[in-house]
Amino acid sequence: MATTTAAVTLTSDLLSDNMSVSASTTCMKAGTTADGLDQMEYVLVEIPTGDEYDLIATTPTASKGSKLYVKNHSTDETYYIAITQNSQAIGRLYAGDWMFIPADFHDAAGDIAITSVGGTNKIEYALFHEGTVLKATD
Amino acid sequence: MATTTATITIASTDLLSDELALTSTATLTLAGNSTGVTQASGLSRKTIVGDPAKPQIVYRAGDYTAGGANKVYIKNTSTTAAEYFTVQIDQEVIGRLYAGDWMFMPWIATSGTKETFVVTATLGSGAVAIGDSWDFDGVTTVSADATLNNFSAAINAKTYPNWTTTVSGAAVTFTARYAGAAGVVTAEDAITGDTLVDLAGSNLTMPITSGAVGTRSESDISMLPSVVTAMTYETMLIHE
Repeated sequence: MATTTAAVTLTSDLLSDNMSVSASTTCMKAGTTADGLDQMEYVLVEIPTGDEYDLIATTPTASKGSKLYVKNHSTDETYYIAITQNSQAIGRLYAGDWMFIPADFHDAAGDIAITSVGGTNKIEYALFHEGTVLKATD
Repeated sequence: MATTTATITIASTDLLSDELALTSTATLTLAGNSTGVTQASGLSRKTIVGDPAKPQIVYRAGDYTAGGANKVYIKNTSTTAAEYFTVQIDQEVIGRLYAGDWMFMPWIATSGTKETFVVTATLGSGAVAIGDSWDFDGVTTVSADATLNNFSAAINAKTYPNWTTTVSGAAVTFTARYAGAAGVVTAEDAITGDTLVDLAGSNLTMPITSGAVGTRSESDISMLPSVVTAMTYETMLIHE
């Protein structure tokens, strides 16, 4: 079994007391505590301004324990990528921001899509999953 | 300026041929500039005894600035493998947070519009009678004197569970606390759910003089527990 851990630490002096929140999880297959996610894809890509693109080209198995990490490597603070899923706006990743979410991919419409705004954004993403449906050769 | 950072580390020694060690730190700023985020909901923890068919709203979009650099953190504190939360944004399922899992994502917080209407205390003849009353949203206002504008001011002074108010003369503007088609305003001149008591035959009426039906929020974040037994989650929202 592969063991992949994802840890987050949030710190801030925004509040009266300093805040430090930490969490760590071992990325498991759905519904298990002993069988880790054992497949991944890892991509760095530049996305030009304008069109919306599906971030994940293949379709991971739906309703599983997939985890998606996305980072916007842009340095211009006005640049961002708009994240949508099935046409539902989720949020914006501004320059330097990252996200880590469970990815359901409930059907073909459940793809994660991104639109680059402001200029060309360099995007890094990693998908940890337990199987994909590969697209047949055209 | 406050400094808020989010650091992620993804590590594995046996997933690939070589060790995976990915670390990234983001300094969270307002949208489109380098000013640090200025508001946070703080870390909260909640245990729910769920109905797997009923998502529970965690954050309402209407309470926050839309289109900004908001970030949401959610963790499922369960240690039981079968216990997971299905996280949704509006009607769209994002994914499942299994036992011990956490997520950190940007949030667009696109809200709908809040229903609003103006009700204007109006006399057909005479004056308001002491004891005349108007009931709306479960709150009853009773006139303490014979001055029409004072009656409207008294209505405005009440606290309504689902509405906020402002007053100008005899006109009281009601605005829904949450975006949505609440069904109270059925047209620009109609309202449902109010009760007027005109004791002394002064022909006191409370007509709607204008109004607008609301529209539902489009990006509330909700969670659906997988089991009916108690499940606990932690959340934090960093927002503009």
